[in-house]
Amino acid sequence: MARIYQVPSHTRLWLALAVLLCSIPQLVKGPLWQAGLLVLVILIRWLVEQQRLTLPGRMVRSLLLIGAVALTFYSFGRLYGPEAGVALLVSLFALKYLEVVQQRDAYVVIVLGYFVCGTALLFSQTPGMFLYVVLCMTVLTSCLVGINHSDTRASGFLHGKRALVITLQSIPLMMVLFLLVPRVAPLWNMQVGGDKARTGMSDSMSPGQISELSESAELAFRVDFQGDVPPRAQRYWRGLTLSHYDGRTWQQAVPKGQLESEYLYRRGTEKPDWYRKLESRRSYEQERYLYEVIAEPSQRRWLFSLAVPFPLDGDMALAKDMRLVANQPVSQRLAYRVESVPAINEVIGLTPQERQLMLSLPQNAGKKARGLAHQWRKESSSARDISQRALRYFRDQPFHYTLRPPRLTADPVDDFLFRTRRGFCEHYASSFTFLMRAAGVPARVVVGYQGGEQNDMGTHFLVRQYDAHAWSEIWLEGEGWTRVDPTGAVAPDRIELGLREALENSEDGRDLLADLGLRRFSDGGLFAKVSQWIDYVDFRWQTWVLGYDRAFQSDFLESLLGAVTPARIAIALIIAVAILMGFYAFFLLWQTGNEKLTLMEREYWRLHQRASERGRPLVAGLTPMQLCQAISEQWPQAAVAAENWAKYYQKLHYDPLSPPDKQQKRHLRSLRNRLYKLLD
Amino acid sequence: MQLPAPIRNLYERWLARRLPPARQIVLDQRRIFIFPTGYGFFYLLVAALLFIGGINYENNLILALSFLLASLFMVAILHTFRNLSALGIRNGGSESGFAGEEGALEIVLFAQRREHHCVWLRWRGQDDQQISIRRGEEESLWLNLPLAKRGRVMAPRLKVESRFPLGLLRTWSYVSLDHYCLAWPRPEESLDCPADGGKENQQAFSSGQSGNDEFQGLRSYIPGDSLRRVDWKGYARGRGLNTKQFEEPVGGRLWLRWDRLQGLGEEQRLSVLSYWILQLDPQRQPYGLKLPGLTLAPDTGDVHRWRLLDALASYPDF
Repeated sequence: MARIYQVPSHTRLWLALAVLLCSIPQLVKGPLWQAGLLVLVILIRWLVEQQRLTLPGRMVRSLLLIGAVALTFYSFGRLYGPEAGVALLVSLFALKYLEVVQQRDAYVVIVLGYFVCGTALLFSQTPGMFLYVVLCMTVLTSCLVGINHSDTRASGFLHGKRALVITLQSIPLMMVLFLLVPRVAPLWNMQVGGDKARTGMSDSMSPGQISELSESAELAFRVDFQGDVPPRAQRYWRGLTLSHYDGRTWQQAVPKGQLESEYLYRRGTEKPDWYRKLESRRSYEQERYLYEVIAEPSQRRWLFSLAVPFPLDGDMALAKDMRLVANQPVSQRLAYRVESVPAINEVIGLTPQERQLMLSLPQNAGKKARGLAHQWRKESSSARDISQRALRYFRDQPFHYTLRPPRLTADPVDDFLFRTRRGFCEHYASSFTFLMRAAGVPARVVVGYQGGEQNDMGTHFLVRQYDAHAWSEIWLEGEGWTRVDPTGAVAPDRIELGLREALENSEDGRDLLADLGLRRFSDGGLFAKVSQWIDYVDFRWQTWVLGYDRAFQSDFLESLLGAVTPARIAIALIIAVAILMGFYAFFLLWQTGNEKLTLMEREYWRLHQRASERGRPLVAGLTPMQLCQAISEQWPQAAVAAENWAKYYQKLHYDPLSPPDKQQKRHLRSLRNRLYKLLD
Repeated sequence: MQLPAPIRNLYERWLARRLPPARQIVLDQRRIFIFPTGYGFFYLLVAALLFIGGINYENNLILALSFLLASLFMVAILHTFRNLSALGIRNGGSESGFAGEEGALEIVLFAQRREHHCVWLRWRGQDDQQISIRRGEEESLWLNLPLAKRGRVMAPRLKVESRFPLGLLRTWSYVSLDHYCLAWPRPEESLDCPADGGKENQQAFSSGQSGNDEFQGLRSYIPGDSLRRVDWKGYARGRGLNTKQFEEPVGGRLWLRWDRLQGLGEEQRLSVLSYWILQLDPQRQPYGLKLPGLTLAPDTGDVHRWRLLDALASYPDF
């Protein structure tokens, strides 16, 4: 039988730890049998190393391998794709660890480990996960140091220390590479199903849906404005327009017969008529906002932006109802830059089909409401006038803004408008739109978010789920789609100050707020401060690290190098790497490190130095006895003390049998101190 | 891997020029080579895979990880190099032997500036030896050397290699020490003792019998004196180590002479002389050696014997 390679005893623990740490991210989210497999493997390995068990033969290992593959297939339904692939990789990694019989196998396990811990970043990209992966890497590096260290009495702790030093030295180099190595376009496209959306806007609106959302403080997206920031009351983040109403629920709809290519403009495709008109007006407008949105995963395709958005990055389309649509559902955090020009939407126009859709109403809903609308229509001269009347109606009648509206019965429109009169934004938006349509004004519901709080550092805005909002848009001839927010007529605070204040100022709101535990995000207190900082770090991580893409990089390189040419990048890269490596080389190779003196040497040199300072300078190469003589010559009164010191020193220092113990050292020191006093 | 002979010769000559032999060598950047090991390439492959993965998934963190792996590799170059750099190697002792047998050379490794972990010494025809040297200390190794033929056998080029700390890179240097082992001539039996002087009968066995020498007195022991002449009884009585001095033996001095072996080849003459040195040594009669250009006065003892054999080994360049 071939001699089995033994992982050096000082490295076994490191190796087991490395295998465990690298697998944990997968074990946490993967099926339970994977954890069982790993525990089994580590147990077997441990027993083998204790020599209580022989290494399982090829037969057993093959069975385990087949089992792992079969179970992976059973759990995931396939063996390819990121989730199943990583699960399989982690199992194979554990099995490879089981069969470490040669030094070569140990190398393979460790180098494979670097890959395995990297795959964890496919599914989570938080700063914490990255730190964890770097920790895994350091442990793996400790293993490498260990298997290369064949002194049997080497210390495992020192492997870790050495690995940590090497890793820390690598990090500045990594940063240089990260900043300067050009980002290449993907060679082929891959998508990973990432975090699942927990809460978020759905693609329809019925009473109660948005108020549910308002109970969550989860982040919806962040916005980083470059330059001007629109006032809070203007920050309407449009997500969806809903134009079909069935009496209870508003839904998205496209006019009959409209093709997607007419409705959506994707960069690189032929520009539809409305887009060309928008574009021609875009450059004349003064009021424009440039910002970057970092959207949390929502698993939806719609993106949030101010009206009228022009996407600056690819991968998304502009719809005719002035909103952005992503090419794929947002499964991971997505950053996109947008320029919004608010005042140009009248050029889009309204086709007859669209007008028909925007006026459509369910047959038998809201009889009383229709009557009211017809009356307004008769009494008004213009569509604007009708909308003013409607808002006045909301303001003058006893309507309440509340998060806990009463249940609506059979006919939600009439019931709300004439009976309960307590509602949340979706009730107001819905009934207002209904009234407008009934009065012959094309109208639609828009859902999205309104407002957003600025981070304490003043860097960016946070839009949370409780900022979810619904409002209306009506078509005014000559002005285009005009935003009307009926909630503002009932609860102006909601728009001016945000949901929090609006509720605090209302009678039942305060209790409700306490109920929900929704304190203001920026309220004082240590916890709030810390969470602000955590958010800040997360935001910077998002924008500077995860968002450091090709566009960002070329901007950065342009500001650094003047122009982005391959030659300049190469030169910058070489210079930066050379400087760092030169710096390390200097410290590692040319610096001898300060000579560590032994305690006895220090004792000697201290006295030597003191004598030189107080009297004539002494040459360096004196024996203790010569030093004593030199002292006696200069300070005759110190002769006895000097001799005592020198004799004791010699006795301690040159006794080959016993190194000086603590008491003796202390005595020597006291002799020296006695001598000091005599050197004047 | 063996290169074709002409290329190998060129390489050897280049190495010899680049790394001339010396008695003491401190490894520096001119002498040290470094190259990734197979595992190093495997590691780089993994880093490249992560890079491609990072690009394809547009995942900056995986990219960052691949850059971290690459950086680790670059820093490892310095660390691996550092493990060999400033390692000092110098001649130690040597143990001669007869041609056809093995001698041994001592190599002393010293670490002046830092510690050196797990340094492999490779030397053709021998198991590799591994050694770690702590800072400020010395370690010595004996390496066996086959002695093919009489004379000075130069130390072959020694390969000093290390993969510490990560095993991803291999750094090595060739060290040609100006160090040699003497190969004594292999003894060749002959009946005629090529000696002058002494008794008329030059049969060695009849000369130098014990008791023939006349005890003269004692002098204090000098290292190298034959242990047979030490006054052990006196030592046991606590008089210290002394060496017994004898009068000139009755038989007079024996001279082994090169000239007496006319008609034989050079090597053969040396072999015969070697044989007779070994024959004469156990007897207490002093014997000397006369070679062209070198005369070694008669004496006895181990040191004397070695001196004579060394002289034979290094003939004709003493």
